[in-house]
Amino acid sequence: MSDFLDQVEAAVPALRRYARALTRNVDLADDLVQDCLERAISRRGLFRPSGPVRAWLFTILLNLFRNSVRADKRRGQTVDIDSMVIEPSTPAPQPGHIALAEMARAIETLPLDQKEALLLIVLEGVSYAEAATMLGIPQGTLMSRLGRARAALRTLTGMPAEPHLRTVK
Amino acid sequence: MSLPVTHNVLMAYADGRLPPEQIAAVEAHLAANPDAAAEVALWQRQRDAITTLFAPVAAEPVPARLRAARIAAEQNRRSGMNFRWAAAAVVLVGLGIGAGWFVRPLIDRAPSASDILIASAVNAHTVFVGEKRHAVEVWAKEQDHLVSWLSARLDTKIGTPDLAPEGFQLVGGRLLPGDPKTGRAAQLMYENAAAERVTIYITDALPDHASAYQFAAINQTDAFYWANAFITCTVVGSLPDEQMKTVSQSIYRQLTALDEGETPTYHG
Repeated sequence: MSDFLDQVEAAVPALRRYARALTRNVDLADDLVQDCLERAISRRGLFRPSGPVRAWLFTILLNLFRNSVRADKRRGQTVDIDSMVIEPSTPAPQPGHIALAEMARAIETLPLDQKEALLLIVLEGVSYAEAATMLGIPQGTLMSRLGRARAALRTLTGMPAEPHLRTVK
Repeated sequence: MSLPVTHNVLMAYADGRLPPEQIAAVEAHLAANPDAAAEVALWQRQRDAITTLFAPVAAEPVPARLRAARIAAEQNRRSGMNFRWAAAAVVLVGLGIGAGWFVRPLIDRAPSASDILIASAVNAHTVFVGEKRHAVEVWAKEQDHLVSWLSARLDTKIGTPDLAPEGFQLVGGRLLPGDPKTGRAAQLMYENAAAERVTIYITDALPDHASAYQFAAINQTDAFYWANAFITCTVVGSLPDEQMKTVSQSIYRQLTALDEGETPTYHG
């Protein structure tokens, strides 16, 4: 059983990172992670699927995140200004680089399903198959969400599709 | 010679998820297609930006409230308390049964209101869980209507508990004839990913408005019944014991919170 707790413990930094990227709010993110850990630990042995603990934790976190988003839509949400993530506001130093603040805003604007998928792949380095399981979707759906997320980010961060100018002969 | 280099193959390359034997072919394709190469480079810059923004979070010290060992210890402490309560309840129920047995010839009772309600709940469960197209009268997509309609018909405020943490989604609900005394009943149906169904059978409070709890098992179907000053509620299902207990507790907690006048944050 302590082996289970060790595996949970090991997943916490990644869960916090993912929750932070999803919510962009320090307190909200840690609340989600705490809720997720409490559920997982109280349910070890009961609902625990045979797969890896980490994937199961991410699935729980995602469900909690969706529940909270649903609840917020109904209630409206107050955000403590101190807990908001402040991005560096410096503009892109060189052409070809994406300004971080711009990217942070762009991610926030992404539809939820695209944001969840893209962050699992790009930030968490989860395999396609595992991400599809965590999200409860077929891998083909995952790939099309990734494609749409990337296209949306390109538009939102103002990056042209083809940064190379073609020379006119 | 090789697979066509599709959009998905390019994404897998950019994500570093491509099998090693395909990399050379994709790189050759990119060398010949500057547009594709530019797109892949853009994806990689997107990834770099996202990583720069959020990767440092994982290196932050983990706050004490997110320590797995601490959460586990806290839960053990609480379940110890629950166990003591459960033990006390067993003793009390034992005393009650013992005493009841001896006074039984004096009472020779008719089935109690709760027995009738439990039997009706189990019967309604058995009838409707097998249905597909007609499992419910109002489906979950009209949840707000369902809640206001049933609340009006039962003349008591009811909500639809959120059982998502337990893996159950609301299917919908229906109005049913209840016990002759209580008149009407509402049945809410939930289903999990494994297509197991649980129903909740709710009526207006009994005339005595007394609190009561009762468990029953009828033909491998379990029923957990309670009554309070506002409603009677029977949770019916055929889940493994632990799961049935978790689901029942969650429903009990949520419906009781509603009775205590708290904002029903769960429904909808």
